[in-house]
Amino acid sequence: MSTMNAQLPGVFYRRPSPEQAPFIEEGGTVEPGQLVALIEVMKTFNEVKADRSGIISKFLLGDGDEVEAGQGIVEVDEA
Amino acid sequence: MNEVLVRSGGLYTTVQDAGRDGHYAIGMPPSGAMDRYSFTIANLLAGNPGPTAALEATYLGPELEFTDSRTVAVTGADCSVTVSGASAPMWMSLRVGPGDVLGFGPLKAGARPYVAISGGLDVPEYLNSRSTYKLTGIGGFGGRALAEGDRVPLGQAQDPPAEGTTVPEEFLPEFPDVVELRLVVGLCSYRLTENALDSFLDTTWKVTKDADRIGYRLRGGTIDFVEREQPFGAGSDPANVVDLGYPIGSVQIPGGNEPIILLNDAVTGGGYATVGTVVSADRDRVAQTGTGGYVRFNATDVDSAVQARQDRDAWLHKLRTVLTG
Amino acid sequence: MAETTVRLPEARYEFGGDEFVFVELDREMSLQANFKAMAITGALRDRELEGVVDICPSNASYLVRLDPGKLHPTELVEELRRLEHSAGELDGTRVVSTRVVDVPVLFDDPWTRETLLRFRDNHQDPNVTDLEYAARINGFSAVEELIEAIGSAPFIVTMLGFVPGLPFCYQMVPRERQIEVPKYVRPRTDTPERAFGYGGAFAVVYPVRGAGGYQLFGIAPAPVFDGTQSLPDFHDRIAFPRPSDILRYRPIDRAEYDHVRSEVEAGTFRYRIREVEFSPTAFLEDPDSVNRDLLEELYR
Repeated sequence: MSTMNAQLPGVFYRRPSPEQAPFIEEGGTVEPGQLVALIEVMKTFNEVKADRSGIISKFLLGDGDEVEAGQGIVEVDEA
Repeated sequence: MNEVLVRSGGLYTTVQDAGRDGHYAIGMPPSGAMDRYSFTIANLLAGNPGPTAALEATYLGPELEFTDSRTVAVTGADCSVTVSGASAPMWMSLRVGPGDVLGFGPLKAGARPYVAISGGLDVPEYLNSRSTYKLTGIGGFGGRALAEGDRVPLGQAQDPPAEGTTVPEEFLPEFPDVVELRLVVGLCSYRLTENALDSFLDTTWKVTKDADRIGYRLRGGTIDFVEREQPFGAGSDPANVVDLGYPIGSVQIPGGNEPIILLNDAVTGGGYATVGTVVSADRDRVAQTGTGGYVRFNATDVDSAVQARQDRDAWLHKLRTVLTG
Repeated sequence: MAETTVRLPEARYEFGGDEFVFVELDREMSLQANFKAMAITGALRDRELEGVVDICPSNASYLVRLDPGKLHPTELVEELRRLEHSAGELDGTRVVSTRVVDVPVLFDDPWTRETLLRFRDNHQDPNVTDLEYAARINGFSAVEELIEAIGSAPFIVTMLGFVPGLPFCYQMVPRERQIEVPKYVRPRTDTPERAFGYGGAFAVVYPVRGAGGYQLFGIAPAPVFDGTQSLPDFHDRIAFPRPSDILRYRPIDRAEYDHVRSEVEAGTFRYRIREVEFSPTAFLEDPDSVNRDLLEELYR
């Protein structure tokens, strides 16, 4: 298991907009380059993409939480 | 070819120099490097005379491919730097050649890395400056942040310092958990109750996600304004005054709960009561405090503010002597 | 005449850190305060002091940016206090060389209407337009009367700023005839370029698209800012308005709006400008007659 860290500080979002479903649920599988979350900072929404493949075992942050650069955001069980 | 290729722009990387002075009266802020200290040292290490145009990144640095031999230096925020995949030190003159790629890893502390390249970034001057001012899309590289595929022209390199020239430890900035900012209280601080001013100075403020070159919005407390009869022309909100000029570094508190520090690309005036001004030397520290960071304001007077600026300049002068021998 | 009885308090000198000196001439807006700001900043400009970087007259105050390496802020304040006494008193002989300019405005236009309807939640009264709201709270029985009042007397540029080229304009009428409106409860995140807005007692033309909190009344076909300096009126300066310019906001129809736009796009548009000598004291004594003369000169 490994942890993906935020590259930017800001506000963490798991979904494209409040009414829409999350990009990915816990238990889902990801491939490198796949969009998993957004971080809002300086009036832009920046895509957080997976840098490894595996199964999302746990999100360490909730939708709308503040996040710091370098903070763990998601745990991945690597395939 | 005298240019550098942008393989990735990073989050928000712009060309900046010492800024565009002399146009504040028409409403144009000076722009320019926000952390003047790190910017100056980057140029010293790249062998550029004076405040030559360099790159200011935000949180996540760019990826740059060189097309000729250059001396480069990365200063400012603490981050991991690579040259063609190999780890490279910050605060050091680095030699690169055609095909070499300067890259950035995760940020460890601070907010803004600076990249100076020998010869400087040779974008056209606009009103005597190469600084980017995004609001009206002027200066810098097309008046905007760098993006993948851009080819930024470079100037003729001067005589750079020897490869490996490095900044002694005592000259490196610190990145404390709570950043102390010296503030000259005044301007329209009469709008605050005495308790409100004390509480403003006692509060540790957190930097919100709305923190960029225009200004930093803070959160952490509530500030009360003195009750009043609205002066003619001021507007009805207790935080409003008859529109006036805003100093760079001034702090205003719209709504009484979210102070804003105005910075290099800020609006030059408006209708909110300003309650004090961060001394110019401490804007370097603001620049290296990012979203999620903490600041406190310490009241000081104008003489100390001028002294702080002189001290910073003297310190840079000393470093120049150390580096150039 | 309410205006002539305005007495200004003692000026207040404040340090904006080490790089700025801010001088408040009054907490409320008046033409007297602005004339004083213009007189002192004009005299300061003539002094050509080493270390003064920017001189920014504002509505009822002014701001000076300096290089503290060349001039200590406390020395500058001493000089400004001297200028307040030598140049700050209005005397009957003082005449300002300035310009009267015709500034066409299309009121209740489709662009600002579309914008203001998008931001009704940010407004004091979500059920009416900004013009309807402003007419009501200023005691006009219809929007047309408000527009007529704006067009009936010229405005003077009392400050430039916020963003490059934005003129803050104060109507040249006694206080009891001033139009006054609050700013939006929460600022908009969008405003069309060249929108004509009103906030507090000030009219503005927004130079560029962006955030804004003023009530939206209309749109000007001609720019106030031209970063590319392609129009003839912008060859020397990127911002058209200058402090103390006298602007007449003239209500126009859609056909004239489209015509001016085509001239702007062809690069041939020029503002109608007349150079005038303006006496602040003569104006304060009889504003209506001075305004009549100014407009006569403009459209002669």
